[in-house]
Amino acid sequence: MTTLAQALPASRSNEAGRRTLAVVKLHFVNRFQILYLPLIVLGAIFVLNLAIWWIIVESTGGVNSANRSSSHLGYSGAVSYIYVYGIVIAVQAISRTFPFSLGFGVTRRDFYLGSVIAFVGLSLGFAVVLTIMSSIEIATNGWGLGGRMFAPLFFTNSFWLLRFVMYFCAFLFLLFIGTAGATFYVRWRATGLTIFFGIIAIILLGAVAYFTLGHQWPAVGTWFDQSGPVGVTVWLLAPAAVCALAGYFVLRRATPKN
Amino acid sequence: MTTVVEVDDLTKRFGKFTAVDDVSLRIEENKIYGLLGRNGAGKTTMMQLLTGQQFATDGTIRVFGQSPVENAAVLGNVCFIKESQAYPDDFKPKHVFASAPWFFQNWDADFADRLIADFRVPVNRRIKKLSRGQLSAVGVIVGLASRAPLTFFDEPYLGLDAVARQIFYDRLLEDFGENPRTVILSTHLIDEVSNLLEHVIVIDDGRIIIDESADELRGSATTVSGTKAAVDAFVGKRAVLHREGIGGLTSVTIENVDAADRRAAVSAGLELGPVSLQQLIVRKTSIPETEFGAQS
Repeated sequence: MTTLAQALPASRSNEAGRRTLAVVKLHFVNRFQILYLPLIVLGAIFVLNLAIWWIIVESTGGVNSANRSSSHLGYSGAVSYIYVYGIVIAVQAISRTFPFSLGFGVTRRDFYLGSVIAFVGLSLGFAVVLTIMSSIEIATNGWGLGGRMFAPLFFTNSFWLLRFVMYFCAFLFLLFIGTAGATFYVRWRATGLTIFFGIIAIILLGAVAYFTLGHQWPAVGTWFDQSGPVGVTVWLLAPAAVCALAGYFVLRRATPKN
Repeated sequence: MTTVVEVDDLTKRFGKFTAVDDVSLRIEENKIYGLLGRNGAGKTTMMQLLTGQQFATDGTIRVFGQSPVENAAVLGNVCFIKESQAYPDDFKPKHVFASAPWFFQNWDADFADRLIADFRVPVNRRIKKLSRGQLSAVGVIVGLASRAPLTFFDEPYLGLDAVARQIFYDRLLEDFGENPRTVILSTHLIDEVSNLLEHVIVIDDGRIIIDESADELRGSATTVSGTKAAVDAFVGKRAVLHREGIGGLTSVTIENVDAADRRAAVSAGLELGPVSLQQLIVRKTSIPETEFGAQS
Protein backbone atom coordinates (compact mmCIF):
# COMPACT_ATOMS: atom_id res chain seq x y z
CA MET A 1 0.00 0.00 0.00
CA THR A 2 1.50 3.31 -1.02
CA THR A 3 1.21 6.37 1.10
CA LEU A 4 -1.88 8.45 0.63
CA ALA A 5 -0.15 11.73 -0.07
CA GLN A 6 1.38 10.32 -3.24
CA ALA A 7 -2.04 9.40 -4.53
CA LEU A 8 -2.99 13.03 -4.98
CA PRO A 9 -2.23 14.12 -8.54
CA ALA A 10 0.12 17.08 -8.60
CA SER A 11 -1.80 20.33 -8.61
CA ARG A 12 -0.82 23.22 -10.83
CA SER A 13 0.83 26.23 -9.28
CA ASN A 14 -1.82 28.69 -10.43
CA GLU A 15 -4.60 26.32 -9.41
CA ALA A 16 -6.43 28.75 -7.11
CA GLY A 17 -6.56 31.49 -9.74
CA ARG A 18 -7.71 29.05 -12.40
CA ARG A 19 -10.57 27.75 -10.24
CA THR A 20 -11.74 31.23 -9.30
CA LEU A 21 -11.66 32.28 -12.95
CA ALA A 22 -13.66 29.18 -13.86
CA VAL A 23 -16.40 30.26 -11.44
CA VAL A 24 -16.39 33.76 -12.95
CA LYS A 25 -16.83 32.24 -16.40
CA LEU A 26 -19.52 29.91 -15.10
CA HIS A 27 -21.62 32.90 -14.04
CA PHE A 28 -21.41 34.26 -17.57
CA VAL A 29 -21.78 31.03 -19.54
CA ASN A 30 -25.49 31.64 -20.03
CA ARG A 31 -24.91 35.06 -21.58
CA PHE A 32 -28.47 35.55 -22.68
CA GLN A 33 -29.80 35.34 -19.14
CA ILE A 34 -27.25 37.55 -17.43
CA LEU A 35 -26.33 40.09 -20.16
CA TYR A 36 -28.62 40.18 -23.17
CA LEU A 37 -32.00 39.74 -21.50
CA PRO A 38 -31.67 42.70 -19.08
CA LEU A 39 -30.35 44.89 -21.92
CA ILE A 40 -33.15 43.82 -24.25
CA VAL A 41 -35.77 44.62 -21.60
CA LEU A 42 -34.08 47.93 -20.82
CA GLY A 43 -34.03 48.73 -24.55
CA ALA A 44 -37.73 47.88 -24.85
CA ILE A 45 -38.56 50.10 -21.88
CA PHE A 46 -36.52 52.88 -23.50
CA VAL A 47 -38.34 52.57 -26.83
CA LEU A 48 -41.72 52.68 -25.08
CA ASN A 49 -40.60 55.74 -23.14
CA LEU A 50 -39.49 57.42 -26.37
CA ALA A 51 -42.90 56.73 -27.88
CA ILE A 52 -44.69 58.18 -24.86
CA TRP A 53 -42.49 61.29 -24.85
CA TRP A 54 -43.11 61.76 -28.56
CA ILE A 55 -46.90 61.50 -28.08
CA ILE A 56 -46.80 64.02 -25.22
CA VAL A 57 -44.54 66.43 -27.07
CA GLU A 58 -46.62 66.26 -30.26
CA SER A 59 -49.89 66.74 -28.41
CA THR A 60 -48.57 69.73 -26.47
CA GLY A 61 -47.34 71.74 -29.38
CA GLY A 62 -44.24 69.98 -30.74
CA VAL A 63 -40.56 70.10 -29.96
CA ASN A 64 -40.22 73.77 -30.83
CA SER A 65 -43.03 74.87 -28.60
CA ALA A 66 -41.99 77.65 -26.24
CA ASN A 67 -42.93 75.91 -23.02
CA ARG A 68 -41.15 72.63 -23.80
CA SER A 69 -37.81 73.28 -22.14
CA SER A 70 -39.30 74.68 -18.98
CA SER A 71 -41.72 71.81 -18.37
CA HIS A 72 -39.55 69.02 -19.57
CA LEU A 73 -40.73 65.49 -18.96
CA GLY A 74 -39.95 64.30 -15.44
CA TYR A 75 -37.71 61.47 -14.41
CA SER A 76 -39.77 58.31 -14.79
CA GLY A 77 -37.69 55.85 -12.79
CA ALA A 78 -38.00 53.38 -15.66
CA VAL A 79 -34.31 52.55 -15.40
CA SER A 80 -34.82 51.08 -11.94
CA TYR A 81 -35.82 47.84 -13.69
CA ILE A 82 -32.19 47.01 -14.28
CA TYR A 83 -31.34 47.55 -10.61
CA VAL A 84 -34.06 45.14 -9.54
CA TYR A 85 -32.83 42.68 -12.14
CA GLY A 86 -29.38 43.05 -10.59
CA ILE A 87 -30.72 41.77 -7.26
CA VAL A 88 -32.45 38.88 -9.04
CA ILE A 89 -29.21 37.94 -10.81
CA ALA A 90 -27.29 37.89 -7.54
CA VAL A 91 -29.94 35.84 -5.72
CA GLN A 92 -30.16 33.26 -8.50
CA ALA A 93 -26.43 33.10 -9.04
CA ILE A 94 -25.85 32.26 -5.40
CA SER A 95 -28.83 30.03 -4.66
CA ARG A 96 -28.73 27.94 -7.85
CA THR A 97 -25.12 28.07 -9.02
CA PHE A 98 -23.70 27.28 -5.57
CA PRO A 99 -25.01 23.70 -5.26
CA PHE A 100 -24.19 23.15 -8.94
CA SER A 101 -20.59 24.30 -8.51
CA LEU A 102 -20.00 22.05 -5.51
CA GLY A 103 -20.76 19.04 -7.71
CA PHE A 104 -18.01 20.27 -10.02
CA GLY A 105 -15.55 20.05 -7.14
CA VAL A 106 -15.40 23.78 -6.37
CA THR A 107 -14.67 24.92 -2.82
CA ARG A 108 -16.99 27.40 -1.15
CA ARG A 109 -14.11 29.85 -0.95
CA ASP A 110 -13.35 29.72 -4.68
CA PHE A 111 -17.05 29.87 -5.50
CA TYR A 112 -17.57 32.99 -3.40
CA LEU A 113 -14.45 34.74 -4.64
CA GLY A 114 -15.40 34.01 -8.25
CA SER A 115 -18.94 35.23 -7.64
CA VAL A 116 -17.75 38.49 -6.10
CA ILE A 117 -15.47 39.12 -9.09
CA ALA A 118 -18.33 38.28 -11.48
CA PHE A 119 -20.67 40.72 -9.69
CA VAL A 120 -18.10 43.52 -9.67
CA GLY A 121 -17.60 42.92 -13.40
CA LEU A 122 -21.33 42.91 -14.00
CA SER A 123 -21.72 46.18 -12.06
CA LEU A 124 -18.96 47.70 -14.17
CA GLY A 125 -20.64 46.58 -17.38
CA PHE A 126 -24.08 47.88 -16.45
CA ALA A 127 -22.57 51.13 -15.16
CA VAL A 128 -20.79 51.64 -18.49
CA VAL A 129 -24.03 51.09 -20.43
CA LEU A 130 -25.97 53.52 -18.23
CA THR A 131 -23.15 56.10 -18.41
CA ILE A 132 -23.12 55.98 -22.20
CA MET A 133 -26.91 56.21 -22.44
CA SER A 134 -27.15 59.06 -19.93
CA SER A 135 -24.37 60.96 -21.69
CA ILE A 136 -26.27 60.73 -24.97
CA GLU A 137 -29.47 61.66 -23.18
CA ILE A 138 -27.90 64.81 -21.74
CA ALA A 139 -26.07 65.72 -24.97
CA THR A 140 -29.24 65.42 -27.06
CA ASN A 141 -31.31 67.28 -24.49
CA GLY A 142 -33.43 64.24 -23.68
CA TRP A 143 -33.31 62.47 -27.06
CA GLY A 144 -34.58 65.62 -28.71
CA LEU A 145 -37.83 65.27 -26.78
CA GLY A 146 -36.85 66.53 -23.34
CA GLY A 147 -37.33 63.07 -21.88
CA ARG A 148 -35.29 61.65 -19.04
CA MET A 149 -34.69 58.02 -18.27
CA PHE A 150 -31.00 57.27 -17.76
CA ALA A 151 -29.56 60.40 -16.14
CA PRO A 152 -30.13 60.03 -12.41
CA LEU A 153 -32.47 62.20 -10.41
CA PHE A 154 -30.96 65.48 -9.11
CA PHE A 155 -28.18 65.02 -11.52
CA THR A 156 -28.33 66.01 -15.15
CA ASN A 157 -25.48 68.20 -16.26
CA SER A 158 -22.45 66.91 -14.53
CA PHE A 159 -19.30 65.13 -15.43
CA TRP A 160 -19.81 61.62 -16.87
CA LEU A 161 -17.30 60.05 -14.49
CA LEU A 162 -19.39 61.08 -11.47
CA ARG A 163 -22.43 59.47 -13.04
CA PHE A 164 -20.42 56.34 -13.72
CA VAL A 165 -19.32 56.17 -10.07
CA MET A 166 -22.93 56.53 -8.92
CA TYR A 167 -24.20 53.76 -11.17
CA PHE A 168 -21.32 51.48 -10.23
CA CYS A 169 -21.76 51.96 -6.49
CA ALA A 170 -25.53 51.52 -6.70
CA PHE A 171 -25.14 48.22 -8.59
CA LEU A 172 -22.52 46.94 -6.15
CA PHE A 173 -24.79 47.78 -3.23
CA LEU A 174 -27.82 45.99 -4.70
CA LEU A 175 -25.89 42.96 -5.96
CA PHE A 176 -24.27 42.39 -2.59
CA ILE A 177 -27.53 42.88 -0.68
CA GLY A 178 -28.90 40.16 -2.96
CA THR A 179 -25.79 38.04 -2.42
CA ALA A 180 -25.99 38.26 1.38
CA GLY A 181 -29.70 37.45 1.38
CA ALA A 182 -29.13 34.47 -0.91
CA THR A 183 -26.36 33.06 1.30
CA PHE A 184 -28.73 33.18 4.29
CA TYR A 185 -31.25 31.30 2.16
CA VAL A 186 -28.72 28.71 0.98
CA ARG A 187 -27.56 28.09 4.55
CA TRP A 188 -30.83 28.18 6.50
CA ARG A 189 -33.57 28.22 3.83
CA ALA A 190 -36.71 30.25 4.60
CA THR A 191 -35.73 30.67 8.24
CA GLY A 192 -32.50 32.25 7.06
CA LEU A 193 -34.32 34.76 4.86
CA THR A 194 -36.55 35.74 7.77
CA ILE A 195 -33.48 36.24 9.94
CA PHE A 196 -31.78 38.25 7.18
CA PHE A 197 -34.70 40.66 6.80
CA GLY A 198 -35.01 40.75 10.58
CA ILE A 199 -31.39 41.85 10.89
CA ILE A 200 -31.91 44.60 8.28
CA ALA A 201 -35.07 45.78 10.05
CA ILE A 202 -33.25 45.90 13.40
CA ILE A 203 -30.34 47.87 11.90
CA LEU A 204 -32.70 50.40 10.27
CA LEU A 205 -34.83 50.66 13.40
CA GLY A 206 -31.71 51.09 15.53
CA ALA A 207 -30.53 53.93 13.30
CA VAL A 208 -33.93 55.61 13.47
CA ALA A 209 -33.97 55.27 17.26
CA TYR A 210 -30.44 56.64 17.53
CA PHE A 211 -31.13 59.71 15.38
CA THR A 212 -34.57 60.37 16.86
CA LEU A 213 -33.76 59.93 20.55
CA GLY A 214 -30.50 61.85 20.18
CA HIS A 215 -32.25 64.60 18.17
CA GLN A 216 -29.71 64.00 15.43
CA TRP A 217 -31.95 64.32 12.37
CA PRO A 218 -30.72 67.81 11.43
CA ALA A 219 -27.19 66.42 11.38
CA VAL A 220 -28.35 63.65 9.06
CA GLY A 221 -29.87 66.23 6.74
CA THR A 222 -26.66 68.22 6.79
CA TRP A 223 -24.68 65.08 5.99
CA PHE A 224 -26.84 64.31 2.94
CA ASP A 225 -26.50 67.94 1.88
CA GLN A 226 -22.76 68.00 2.23
CA SER A 227 -22.12 64.60 0.70
CA GLY A 228 -24.25 65.29 -2.35
CA PRO A 229 -25.72 62.53 -4.56
CA VAL A 230 -22.31 61.14 -5.49
CA GLY A 231 -21.06 61.10 -1.92
CA VAL A 232 -24.19 59.38 -0.67
CA THR A 233 -23.93 56.71 -3.36
CA VAL A 234 -20.26 56.13 -2.65
CA TRP A 235 -21.17 55.61 0.99
CA LEU A 236 -23.33 52.66 -0.18
CA LEU A 237 -20.04 50.82 -0.65
CA ALA A 238 -19.79 50.45 3.14
CA PRO A 239 -22.98 48.37 3.56
CA ALA A 240 -22.09 46.59 0.29
CA ALA A 241 -18.74 45.53 1.77
CA VAL A 242 -20.41 44.44 5.02
CA CYS A 243 -22.88 42.33 3.01
CA ALA A 244 -20.09 40.81 0.90
CA LEU A 245 -18.13 39.87 4.01
CA ALA A 246 -21.18 38.52 5.86
CA GLY A 247 -22.13 36.47 2.80
CA TYR A 248 -18.70 34.86 2.79
CA PHE A 249 -18.89 33.70 6.40
CA VAL A 250 -22.46 32.48 6.01
CA LEU A 251 -21.63 30.50 2.86
CA ARG A 252 -18.45 28.98 4.27
CA ARG A 253 -20.56 26.55 6.36
CA ALA A 254 -23.48 26.18 3.97
CA THR A 255 -24.43 22.77 2.60
CA PRO A 256 -26.42 22.06 -0.57
CA LYS A 257 -29.95 20.89 0.15
CA ASN A 258 -32.42 19.12 -2.05
CA MET B 1 -3.07 -1.09 -3.77
CA THR B 2 -3.50 2.59 -3.13
CA THR B 3 -6.19 3.76 -0.77
CA VAL B 4 -7.90 6.91 -1.99
CA VAL B 5 -10.50 7.26 0.76
CA GLU B 6 -10.02 6.54 4.43
CA VAL B 7 -12.93 7.03 6.80
CA ASP B 8 -12.61 6.46 10.53
CA ASP B 9 -15.39 6.55 13.13
CA LEU B 10 -17.43 8.92 10.99
CA THR B 11 -20.71 10.18 12.43
CA LYS B 12 -23.12 12.73 11.00
CA ARG B 13 -26.12 13.92 12.96
CA PHE B 14 -28.85 16.26 11.79
CA GLY B 15 -30.36 17.42 15.09
CA LYS B 16 -31.41 14.23 16.82
CA PHE B 17 -31.33 12.16 13.64
CA THR B 18 -28.16 10.17 13.04
CA ALA B 19 -27.67 9.81 9.28
CA VAL B 20 -24.22 8.21 9.44
CA ASP B 21 -23.36 6.27 12.55
CA ASP B 22 -19.74 5.54 13.44
CA VAL B 23 -18.65 4.37 10.00
CA SER B 24 -15.14 3.29 9.07
CA LEU B 25 -14.18 2.24 5.58
CA ARG B 26 -11.47 2.22 2.92
CA ILE B 27 -11.87 2.86 -0.79
CA GLU B 28 -9.11 1.61 -3.06
CA GLU B 29 -7.92 3.22 -6.26
CA ASN B 30 -9.27 2.22 -9.68
CA LYS B 31 -12.19 0.09 -8.62
CA ILE B 32 -15.91 0.43 -9.11
CA TYR B 33 -17.73 0.47 -5.80
CA GLY B 34 -21.42 0.03 -5.19
CA LEU B 35 -22.83 1.99 -2.27
CA LEU B 36 -26.11 0.24 -1.73
CA GLY B 37 -28.91 0.61 0.73
CA ARG B 38 -32.52 1.52 1.18
CA ASN B 39 -34.00 4.99 0.86
CA GLY B 40 -32.82 7.16 3.72
CA ALA B 41 -30.10 4.68 4.69
CA GLY B 42 -27.45 7.40 4.51
CA LYS B 43 -25.99 6.91 1.01
CA THR B 44 -26.29 10.49 -0.16
CA THR B 45 -25.11 11.89 3.17
CA MET B 46 -22.11 9.58 3.01
CA MET B 47 -21.23 10.85 -0.48
CA GLN B 48 -21.73 14.46 0.57
CA LEU B 49 -19.39 13.92 3.50
CA LEU B 50 -16.72 12.38 1.26
CA THR B 51 -16.93 15.34 -1.15
CA GLY B 52 -16.84 18.03 1.52
CA GLN B 53 -20.41 19.11 0.86
CA GLN B 54 -21.47 18.16 4.38
CA PHE B 55 -19.52 18.65 7.57
CA ALA B 56 -18.88 15.62 9.77
CA THR B 57 -20.17 15.67 13.34
CA ASP B 58 -17.42 13.33 14.47
CA GLY B 59 -14.65 11.19 13.05
CA THR B 60 -12.14 11.72 10.26
CA ILE B 61 -12.27 11.59 6.47
CA ARG B 62 -9.17 11.44 4.31
CA VAL B 63 -9.54 11.68 0.53
CA PHE B 64 -6.22 11.42 -1.33
CA GLY B 65 -4.68 11.68 2.12
CA GLN B 66 -6.27 14.99 3.08
CA SER B 67 -9.53 16.29 4.49
CA PRO B 68 -11.86 17.07 1.57
CA VAL B 69 -13.55 20.00 3.30
CA GLU B 70 -12.77 23.22 1.40
CA ASN B 71 -9.68 21.53 -0.02
CA ALA B 72 -9.26 22.57 -3.65
CA ALA B 73 -6.39 20.12 -4.22
CA VAL B 74 -8.66 17.21 -3.28
CA LEU B 75 -11.93 18.46 -4.76
CA GLY B 76 -10.25 19.28 -8.07
CA ASN B 77 -9.99 15.53 -8.56
CA VAL B 78 -13.54 14.77 -7.54
CA CYS B 79 -16.76 14.77 -9.53
CA PHE B 80 -20.08 14.24 -7.72
CA ILE B 81 -23.21 13.66 -9.79
CA LYS B 82 -26.32 13.80 -7.68
CA GLU B 83 -29.69 12.44 -8.61
CA SER B 84 -31.34 15.70 -7.52
CA GLN B 85 -28.63 17.90 -9.01
CA ALA B 86 -29.61 21.57 -9.06
CA TYR B 87 -28.77 23.52 -12.21
CA PRO B 88 -28.63 27.30 -12.52
CA ASP B 89 -31.91 28.80 -13.63
CA ASP B 90 -32.48 28.70 -17.37
CA PHE B 91 -29.35 26.69 -18.02
CA LYS B 92 -29.38 24.49 -21.08
CA PRO B 93 -27.38 21.27 -21.34
CA LYS B 94 -24.96 23.06 -23.68
CA HIS B 95 -24.06 25.45 -20.85
CA VAL B 96 -23.28 22.52 -18.57
CA PHE B 97 -21.06 20.86 -21.18
CA ALA B 98 -19.38 24.17 -22.07
CA SER B 99 -18.42 24.92 -18.46
CA ALA B 100 -17.46 21.42 -17.32
CA PRO B 101 -13.99 21.50 -18.99
CA TRP B 102 -13.07 24.57 -16.91
CA PHE B 103 -13.42 22.45 -13.78
CA PHE B 104 -12.22 19.01 -14.88
CA GLN B 105 -8.68 18.80 -16.17
CA ASN B 106 -9.28 15.42 -17.79
CA TRP B 107 -12.51 16.42 -19.57
CA ASP B 108 -12.81 14.63 -22.91
CA ALA B 109 -14.94 16.73 -25.25
CA ASP B 110 -15.11 14.08 -27.99
CA PHE B 111 -16.28 11.48 -25.52
CA ALA B 112 -18.89 13.95 -24.22
CA ASP B 113 -20.14 14.56 -27.76
CA ARG B 114 -20.46 10.84 -28.38
CA LEU B 115 -22.38 10.41 -25.14
CA ILE B 116 -24.69 13.32 -25.98
CA ALA B 117 -25.53 11.56 -29.23
CA ASP B 118 -25.90 8.17 -27.50
CA PHE B 119 -28.29 9.53 -24.89
CA ARG B 120 -30.00 11.86 -27.38
CA VAL B 121 -29.78 14.84 -25.04
CA PRO B 122 -31.34 18.00 -26.53
CA VAL B 123 -28.49 20.40 -25.75
CA ASN B 124 -30.47 23.51 -26.68
CA ARG B 125 -33.51 22.86 -24.52
CA ARG B 126 -33.83 24.44 -21.11
CA ILE B 127 -32.96 22.01 -18.34
CA LYS B 128 -36.28 22.81 -16.63
CA LYS B 129 -38.06 21.40 -19.68
CA LEU B 130 -36.08 18.16 -19.89
CA SER B 131 -37.69 14.86 -18.99
CA ARG B 132 -36.51 13.10 -15.85
CA GLY B 133 -34.46 10.70 -17.95
CA GLN B 134 -32.84 13.44 -20.05
CA LEU B 135 -31.97 15.29 -16.86
CA SER B 136 -30.28 12.18 -15.49
CA ALA B 137 -28.44 11.75 -18.80
CA VAL B 138 -26.89 15.22 -18.45
CA GLY B 139 -25.43 14.21 -15.09
CA VAL B 140 -24.27 10.84 -16.36
CA ILE B 141 -22.46 12.48 -19.30
CA VAL B 142 -20.67 14.93 -17.01
CA GLY B 143 -19.70 12.12 -14.65
CA LEU B 144 -18.28 9.97 -17.45
CA ALA B 145 -16.59 12.64 -19.61
CA SER B 146 -15.03 14.44 -16.63
CA ARG B 147 -12.80 11.39 -15.97
CA ALA B 148 -12.24 12.65 -12.44
CA PRO B 149 -9.91 10.32 -10.52
CA LEU B 150 -12.70 9.94 -7.95
CA THR B 151 -16.22 9.99 -9.39
CA PHE B 152 -19.43 9.70 -7.40
CA PHE B 153 -22.73 8.80 -9.02
CA ASP B 154 -25.68 9.13 -6.66
CA GLU B 155 -28.66 7.28 -8.17
CA PRO B 156 -27.52 8.49 -11.58
CA TYR B 157 -30.22 6.98 -13.70
CA LEU B 158 -33.60 7.82 -12.26
CA GLY B 159 -35.95 7.94 -15.22
CA LEU B 160 -33.45 6.55 -17.70
CA ASP B 161 -34.99 3.88 -19.89
CA ALA B 162 -33.50 0.39 -20.17
CA VAL B 163 -31.61 1.25 -23.36
CA ALA B 164 -30.07 4.35 -21.84
CA ARG B 165 -29.12 2.46 -18.68
CA GLN B 166 -27.39 -0.19 -20.76
CA ILE B 167 -25.52 2.57 -22.65
CA PHE B 168 -24.41 3.95 -19.30
CA TYR B 169 -23.12 0.57 -18.10
CA ASP B 170 -21.38 -0.14 -21.42
CA ARG B 171 -19.72 3.26 -21.71
CA LEU B 172 -18.66 3.22 -18.08
CA LEU B 173 -16.98 -0.18 -18.46
CA GLU B 174 -15.36 0.67 -21.80
CA ASP B 175 -13.99 3.97 -20.57
CA PHE B 176 -13.01 2.51 -17.22
CA GLY B 177 -10.86 -0.02 -19.09
CA GLU B 178 -8.97 2.72 -20.94
CA ASN B 179 -8.93 5.32 -18.17
CA PRO B 180 -9.00 3.54 -14.82
CA ARG B 181 -10.36 5.59 -11.97
CA THR B 182 -12.29 5.16 -8.78
CA VAL B 183 -16.05 5.14 -9.18
CA ILE B 184 -18.56 5.05 -6.37
CA LEU B 185 -22.08 4.33 -7.50
CA SER B 186 -25.20 4.34 -5.37
CA THR B 187 -28.25 2.63 -6.74
CA HIS B 188 -31.42 0.69 -6.10
CA LEU B 189 -31.02 -1.41 -9.24
CA ILE B 190 -28.65 -3.83 -7.62
CA ASP B 191 -28.95 -6.76 -10.02
CA GLU B 192 -28.51 -4.51 -13.05
CA VAL B 193 -25.19 -3.20 -11.82
CA SER B 194 -23.99 -6.31 -10.05
CA ASN B 195 -21.68 -7.26 -12.93
CA LEU B 196 -20.22 -3.77 -12.91
CA LEU B 197 -19.31 -3.67 -9.26
CA GLU B 198 -16.05 -4.93 -7.90
CA HIS B 199 -16.81 -4.09 -4.33
CA VAL B 200 -20.05 -3.69 -2.46
CA ILE B 201 -20.72 -1.50 0.54
CA VAL B 202 -24.18 -1.79 2.02
CA ILE B 203 -25.34 0.90 4.39
CA ASP B 204 -28.44 0.57 6.51
CA ASP B 205 -29.64 3.02 9.11
CA GLY B 206 -26.36 4.91 8.85
CA ARG B 207 -24.23 1.85 9.56
CA ILE B 208 -22.19 -0.27 7.20
CA ILE B 209 -23.50 -3.81 7.29
CA ILE B 210 -21.63 -5.24 4.30
CA ASP B 211 -18.20 -4.22 3.00
CA GLU B 212 -16.97 -7.01 0.75
CA SER B 213 -15.74 -7.73 -2.73
CA ALA B 214 -18.65 -8.47 -5.02
CA ASP B 215 -17.36 -11.93 -5.90
CA GLU B 216 -16.96 -13.00 -2.30
CA LEU B 217 -20.34 -11.60 -1.47
CA ARG B 218 -22.04 -13.50 -4.27
CA GLY B 219 -20.45 -16.73 -3.06
CA SER B 220 -21.14 -16.03 0.58
CA ALA B 221 -24.71 -17.24 0.64
CA THR B 222 -26.56 -20.16 -0.86
CA THR B 223 -30.15 -21.21 -1.05
CA VAL B 224 -30.86 -24.71 0.14
CA SER B 225 -34.15 -26.28 -0.85
CA GLY B 226 -35.81 -29.59 -0.21
CA THR B 227 -38.27 -31.19 2.14
CA LYS B 228 -38.80 -29.31 5.36
CA ALA B 229 -37.34 -32.08 7.51
CA ALA B 230 -34.19 -32.46 5.39
CA VAL B 231 -33.63 -28.70 5.23
CA ASP B 232 -34.08 -28.30 8.99
CA ALA B 233 -31.66 -31.14 9.62
CA PHE B 234 -29.05 -29.52 7.37
CA VAL B 235 -29.51 -26.01 8.75
CA GLY B 236 -29.16 -27.11 12.36
CA LYS B 237 -28.00 -24.13 14.37
CA ARG B 238 -26.91 -21.97 11.45
CA ALA B 239 -28.31 -18.47 11.11
CA VAL B 240 -30.98 -18.36 8.43
CA LEU B 241 -31.13 -15.17 6.38
CA HIS B 242 -34.41 -16.04 4.77
CA ARG B 243 -36.92 -18.85 4.75
CA GLU B 244 -39.83 -19.56 2.50
CA GLY B 245 -41.93 -22.65 2.01
CA ILE B 246 -44.80 -24.12 0.11
CA GLY B 247 -46.48 -27.17 1.58
CA GLY B 248 -43.83 -29.63 2.68
CA LEU B 249 -41.05 -27.92 0.73
CA THR B 250 -38.79 -25.31 2.22
CA SER B 251 -36.09 -23.05 0.85
CA VAL B 252 -33.67 -21.22 3.10
CA THR B 253 -30.85 -18.78 2.45
CA ILE B 254 -27.81 -19.35 4.61
CA GLU B 255 -24.29 -18.03 4.69
CA ASN B 256 -20.88 -19.68 4.63
CA VAL B 257 -21.65 -22.96 2.95
CA ASP B 258 -18.28 -24.62 2.35
CA ALA B 259 -17.39 -27.55 0.07
CA ALA B 260 -17.97 -30.17 2.77
CA ASP B 261 -21.37 -28.66 3.52
CA ARG B 262 -22.22 -28.79 -0.14
CA ARG B 263 -21.42 -32.48 -0.39
CA ALA B 264 -23.44 -33.17 2.73
CA ALA B 265 -26.39 -31.21 1.38
CA VAL B 266 -26.33 -32.94 -1.98
CA SER B 267 -26.13 -36.37 -0.40
CA ALA B 268 -29.09 -35.42 1.82
CA GLY B 269 -31.09 -34.84 -1.38
CA LEU B 270 -31.12 -31.07 -1.05
CA GLU B 271 -30.83 -28.65 -3.93
CA LEU B 272 -28.31 -25.81 -3.77
CA GLY B 273 -28.70 -22.57 -5.67
CA PRO B 274 -26.97 -19.19 -5.98
CA VAL B 275 -28.36 -16.05 -4.40
CA SER B 276 -28.45 -12.89 -6.46
CA LEU B 277 -26.73 -9.84 -5.05
CA GLN B 278 -30.06 -8.07 -4.82
CA GLN B 279 -31.74 -10.91 -2.93
CA LEU B 280 -28.79 -11.20 -0.61
CA ILE B 281 -28.87 -7.51 0.22
CA VAL B 282 -32.62 -7.46 0.65
CA ARG B 283 -32.34 -10.40 3.04
CA LYS B 284 -29.54 -8.79 4.98
CA THR B 285 -31.09 -5.36 5.30
CA SER B 286 -34.55 -6.52 6.29
CA ILE B 287 -33.69 -8.78 9.20
CA PRO B 288 -33.76 -7.45 12.75
CA GLU B 289 -30.58 -5.91 14.06
CA THR B 290 -29.94 -8.60 16.68
CA GLU B 291 -29.67 -11.26 14.02
CA PHE B 292 -26.96 -9.57 12.01
CA GLY B 293 -25.07 -8.32 15.00
CA ALA B 294 -22.35 -10.80 14.11
CA GLN B 295 -21.64 -9.20 10.74
CA SER B 296 -21.89 -5.54 11.51
